Amino acid sequence: MAGLTKSGVIYDARGLVEPDPEPPMTAEIDGEKAVIDATDLTTRKINLELKRIVYDEGVNEVTIVNPGSKHSLGVGILKRCKITFEGSPGWYACGLIDGPEVQINGRVGWSLAENMMSGSVVVEGPAGSLTGAALRGGDLVIKGNVGARTGIDQKGGTIITLGNAGINTGFMMQRGHQIICGDANDGLGDSMYDGFIYVGGKIASLGVDCVPAEMDDSDHEFINRKFEIYGLGTPPELKKFECGKVLHNYDALEPSERKLVL
Amino acid sequence: MAKKSVAIDAEELAGRRFEYQEDRSLVEDLDLLELTPGKDLNWLEDIHMLEEDGIPAVFDRYSNSFLRIYFEIPEGREDELARKVLMKHLISGNSYGIQLKEKHCKFHQVELGPWVADSRSVGDNYTAPVLEGWEAPTH
Repeated sequence: MAGLTKSGVIYDARGLVEPDPEPPMTAEIDGEKAVIDATDLTTRKINLELKRIVYDEGVNEVTIVNPGSKHSLGVGILKRCKITFEGSPGWYACGLIDGPEVQINGRVGWSLAENMMSGSVVVEGPAGSLTGAALRGGDLVIKGNVGARTGIDQKGGTIITLGNAGINTGFMMQRGHQIICGDANDGLGDSMYDGFIYVGGKIASLGVDCVPAEMDDSDHEFINRKFEIYGLGTPPELKKFECGKVLHNYDALEPSERKLVL
Repeated sequence: MAKKSVAIDAEELAGRRFEYQEDRSLVEDLDLLELTPGKDLNWLEDIHMLEEDGIPAVFDRYSNSFLRIYFEIPEGREDELARKVLMKHLISGNSYGIQLKEKHCKFHQVELGPWVADSRSVGDNYTAPVLEGWEAPTH
């Protein structure tokens, strides 16, 4: 049985999905720019409208006002465009995106930009746990603190945190870069396979097989370039960490075995 | 008996080799900064020249396959050329994962991804495939 909220929005029996698959057609479009007021729209309606104007109406710059901390906003956008949230989205914002440059003038909940393939997401405030989980590529900039397991299973891309990072940040990281300007809580880089983590503040403890490494010119070039692109000022003095590779137990037969089972 | 395939490279998936795998001049003019979001290479920064069966290759994450490169690669340009060959493959619509979109994607989306400005949309009229002679169990 469907439910009806005070605003007249209809949800299905689980309370999770707006069952009407039609975009609301409420965006105010001005050439290549548009504004979506999310006040009275469900998550699905907001995302349907966003995809409609970006994919079909030639809009390249979208501002979403009053996101109201709704979950899963701006997910699955597979096109180059600029998206600005005036306010705070909730959990799982901007997951699975490939191409957009996103600006969030607020804070975000768990799992921001999960599995992002390319593009950038800049958050003016803090972000919750699992920020950049399974990030595949692109840049994620958090100007506040981030929660636990930031960049868990990260497979590429760069996560820059100007504040502090929670417990087990970089857990099972496989590739890419993390730059943490503040402090890192316990278990930094636990069980990481590869990639690099730079930390400016104190580290409560390193995770298993996460070891200190020497900074070289390429590290400085990379960090300075990213800070310049996002207008982050001068980077602090950073310490570099990488995988000690003590836990690596692969052998040369593995690629051959993969082919045999195909 | 059906032929069992053991290869996981892009040629095997597509059933043919592409010209830009053999001719460097076809990729030299690509502007990688133009093709990627932001002011640097963005996601392409993580793309490097690899090797598949002893042949230089770049990994195409959109089809989970290697794209082998047969032309001569000048020293010091390995990553640049790997990225250019990959981007040529993607903007040409030849990546197998992208070719599957027209038939199999379930939701409205651009076909060619973020590398092409005016790609057509697909995924609006998805119908689940039906196996001939099969009926859903009654339980």
